[in-house]
Amino acid sequence: MSSDFYTTSILPYTVIILKLCRAYTNSQEDFEDYYQEVCLQIWRSRENFREESQWSTWIYRITLNVCLTLLKKKKNNAQYFASDYLPIDEAEENSAFADENLNELYKAIRQLSEIDRAVIMLYLEEKTYQEIAEIIGTNPNNIGVRINRIKERLKILLDGKVN
Amino acid sequence: MEKSIESIWKDGFLKKDALVAPKINELYKQKSIHIIDKIKRMMKMNLYAIFGFAVINSGIYVALGTPITGIVIFFLLMGVCWVSIKQAKTLKNIDSNLSSYDYIMTFRTWLNLAISNNSKVMRFIYPLAFLAALMPIIHALKTVKVTQEAITQSSLHLMYGIPTVMWLIAIAIAGAMFVYGDKIYKWDVSLVYSRVFQKLDELIADMEELKK
Repeated sequence: MSSDFYTTSILPYTVIILKLCRAYTNSQEDFEDYYQEVCLQIWRSRENFREESQWSTWIYRITLNVCLTLLKKKKNNAQYFASDYLPIDEAEENSAFADENLNELYKAIRQLSEIDRAVIMLYLEEKTYQEIAEIIGTNPNNIGVRINRIKERLKILLDGKVN
Repeated sequence: MEKSIESIWKDGFLKKDALVAPKINELYKQKSIHIIDKIKRMMKMNLYAIFGFAVINSGIYVALGTPITGIVIFFLLMGVCWVSIKQAKTLKNIDSNLSSYDYIMTFRTWLNLAISNNSKVMRFIYPLAFLAALMPIIHALKTVKVTQEAITQSSLHLMYGIPTVMWLIAIAIAGAMFVYGDKIYKWDVSLVYSRVFQKLDELIADMEELKK
């Protein structure tokens, strides 16, 4: 991967990639692995980009696909090594950010289903319903209802600490 | 103080160092370690499988009344295991402190050498195992009354009580196994390892492109 490609095609979207990767990982080690894998996949699939959508949409899609694939792999592995992973993850997930509220919010987001995590994060990143639907590959008509449902669930998960 | 989800999100990321991108200089470190460990595990499992097969196979031949065949094939397979174990020991010489590219390339070179050495050994193992496996058939042809009478009444030239033409066919097949032993072995290896080897080569290709 050339530094030019990284600077022009990935760096402007790093923030959202990092935010998404955080939602699918519980430890710093996994977070770094996921981020690196996402960057590699973006670089590898750069020639498949057909300009039918925006480059940012393409990047979000790749990020989600990579995160979901790695999460699935991790779940499969965890079935065999469950006792090795969970305690460390629990400890690390609570201290990823300096802001305690943000840590709590991430903790709640991680308890959502994999697709709901993507939906709420894209919403929080102020993507339009159309963009969210395009990224996750669904109908835009249901996005609003889905977001409201997710927000209600988050409120419960956050023990009513949010309005 | 109650805040909205949206404001927690915005305020949280306003803080300095809220998001720091990991370095991406050693992108393939974990990947190379994972894939090489996977191949090592597969090779180990393969060795156990060969050993298990050798034991079961010997038992079958003993049950069929031809223990010598069982013992011969058992020792041939143990020979294969011994060669593999000996080669696996040289893997420890690969320095794990190398860069991920050098590490994976050193491993690939070792793998190519191991396959080449094994294919030389297998050129002998395949025909010898084949000939050994024929022993029970020869034994049956000579001991079962019906076949024995059929052979003696036939006008075929016999060698040790078996038609010479059958010996010639067996030797021709064994000869072909010797000649094409390396190809048979590589096909055999590809049945088990083709996917993981393909991944390894893709990884190397990616790393090489990244280096450009």
